[in-house]
Amino acid sequence: MAITASEIETSLTGILARCHELSLRQHIGEDEADKVIGYFPVYFPEEIVHAAGLRPHALYGGGNRVEVRYADARIGSFVCSICRSTTELGLNGSLNGLGGFFAQPICDAAKHMAGIWGRNFPQQDPQILALPQNVNSAASVRYVYDEYQRLREILAQKIGHAITDDALRASLRVYNENRRLQRALYALKREDPARLSTVEAYLLIRAGTRFRREEHNELLRNALELLAARHIRPMDKPRVVFLGGFCEQPPLEMIETIEDVCFVVDDDLLIGQRWITEDVPEDGDPVWALAESYIQRSAASPVQFDARKRKEDVLMTMMREARAEAAIISAAKFCEPGLDDQLALSRWLDQEKIPYLVLEFEEKMTSFEQMAMQVETFAESLLFV
Amino acid sequence: MTNAILVAGIDIGSTYTKTVLLDETRSVRATAIRRSGYKPAAAAAAVFDEVMANAGVAKEDVTYICTTGYGRYMVPFRHTQITELTCHAVATGYHFPAVRTILDIGGQDIKAIRIDERGRVRAFRLNDKCAAGTGAFLEKTARYLGLETGEIGAYALRSERPVEISSVCAVFAESEVINHLAGGIAPEDIMEGAIVALGGRAVQLMKRVGLEGDFALAGGMTHNLAMIAALESKLGAPLQLPPNGLGQLNGAFGAALLGLRRVERLVAEGRAIAAPAGDGDIKPRRWSTYVSSPSAVSVSA
Repeated sequence: MAITASEIETSLTGILARCHELSLRQHIGEDEADKVIGYFPVYFPEEIVHAAGLRPHALYGGGNRVEVRYADARIGSFVCSICRSTTELGLNGSLNGLGGFFAQPICDAAKHMAGIWGRNFPQQDPQILALPQNVNSAASVRYVYDEYQRLREILAQKIGHAITDDALRASLRVYNENRRLQRALYALKREDPARLSTVEAYLLIRAGTRFRREEHNELLRNALELLAARHIRPMDKPRVVFLGGFCEQPPLEMIETIEDVCFVVDDDLLIGQRWITEDVPEDGDPVWALAESYIQRSAASPVQFDARKRKEDVLMTMMREARAEAAIISAAKFCEPGLDDQLALSRWLDQEKIPYLVLEFEEKMTSFEQMAMQVETFAESLLFV
Repeated sequence: MTNAILVAGIDIGSTYTKTVLLDETRSVRATAIRRSGYKPAAAAAAVFDEVMANAGVAKEDVTYICTTGYGRYMVPFRHTQITELTCHAVATGYHFPAVRTILDIGGQDIKAIRIDERGRVRAFRLNDKCAAGTGAFLEKTARYLGLETGEIGAYALRSERPVEISSVCAVFAESEVINHLAGGIAPEDIMEGAIVALGGRAVQLMKRVGLEGDFALAGGMTHNLAMIAALESKLGAPLQLPPNGLGQLNGAFGAALLGLRRVERLVAEGRAIAAPAGDGDIKPRRWSTYVSSPSAVSVSA
């Protein structure tokens, strides 16, 4: 017997409610103490952590649920929200269960997170995973490979035994499946954005940062099955792409404000979770395959320069493939890489006469009225001019 | 079912909900107005049913539905929504290409809008904080004097010596009205005084967007001859009024015009237009306001 529309909604709401709860969950439970490895965005090779039998835990900040009190004494108010609220989560004890902490030199603020962590939580053995700034060098894959092997050794010491190639290949299989499911989710969103809102897609992807990937795969499979049978009458809204969610995450209210009047048909939200764009080869040296995929089969973000991926071309391809007519170029407050790209892309969009809207956000935004007026005016200009 | 293009514009205002049904020749096929009440979505559905009945068409005959006004997001069967500023600008520009400044006195706010020669919004100012600057103030004054809203204009025109209502705050202005009544001032002089005071505030708002002629008045106040006279006196220039009884329907007419423009574009591009939503259609949940179980959202140790 075919499933009814009401049953589809009930089941989907159940899945999304669980994702919503997981997305807000910052506290690491006693049962997971020392079995969780925290990392600061954008990208981290989770497969190596997974192969060690540990759980990777992406630190996407505290959102609008955390009041920054203790972190004010460690980080200036002119630093982005995600660094401040992540530090607050450490200081208020929410992250006491972390068995390791990795930061990356993606920007001045983020690269100092390891130092801040080292002073305040030395027992968590904070490290920097130095992903290359120059990915176009012939030595870049080798460089990433060496860093990944170093990570493999650190984790092996934590668990008391080596991480085998077989274990790594098994993890690659799990994550390849996860990538296929995520790609299917975004393909569906591009094809029929009324059927899957950006907030829904976001919650489904973000849930993956809070439990093991096998479980996340199951969740995504169930969601995709339900979404395939879902039908929502599309309103008449312009199709846009959204940029600016690669590191600090915009409040859900902001995405909803945009989606009230636009279909966001592609975005860079949580791009680190979707960084590798194809399957990682499951034969050969698994660490090499992962390192090579980071360089050769990967997305783009403002924190990395890659001569093969001109930012303008990446945006153009994104818009073309998603059949978007305009772009929303946002950036988190005090985010230097994001704001740099915002300026460069705005100039280019002006030159190409492609409609766009510039927005700025921070985790603790509370008022969205002014933004709603901006976005509504932008949407009207796309629909009626 | 007909093959003609029909577009509905629905303006859900704080006091009244208005609708206009346009055909592809931009002719008004039917209109309807009713009080918004405390359930704007229900008022929009009722006024839409009424306009279809007035035009003798069915829901499936309506190609496209545009909503505007403060309740524009509350109508689930809409195709899209548009701000009332844009709707007033487009409607006024359509009737009067020479108009550059529009005034709309609504139940809960006043809007002064400056437009260009193509009916596009160049600047606008709203007064929505002070009740003394809204149509609701006039309605309240009328109620003290035992008048219906529709009687205000004609009643005030009988005034020979309008009294000054000096307070800028609606609460104090009401006290003034009561004092004047107790002092034996003729009710029509009090009503006219309130109209002159409100008109003065409206013209001040228009000055803030730049007083560039021609001028137009939109909204329910176009029925109020005393207000029109007071505004024209303050401006020292005539006010253009939407023709054929479309004054109060100006926002809805603008929404319908824009809807028709959108339909023409979609047809030209060969794109499909979805049917209006039915009662059982799914409304996406707002996850930002979803409350998870307390144990799941704990963020402190």
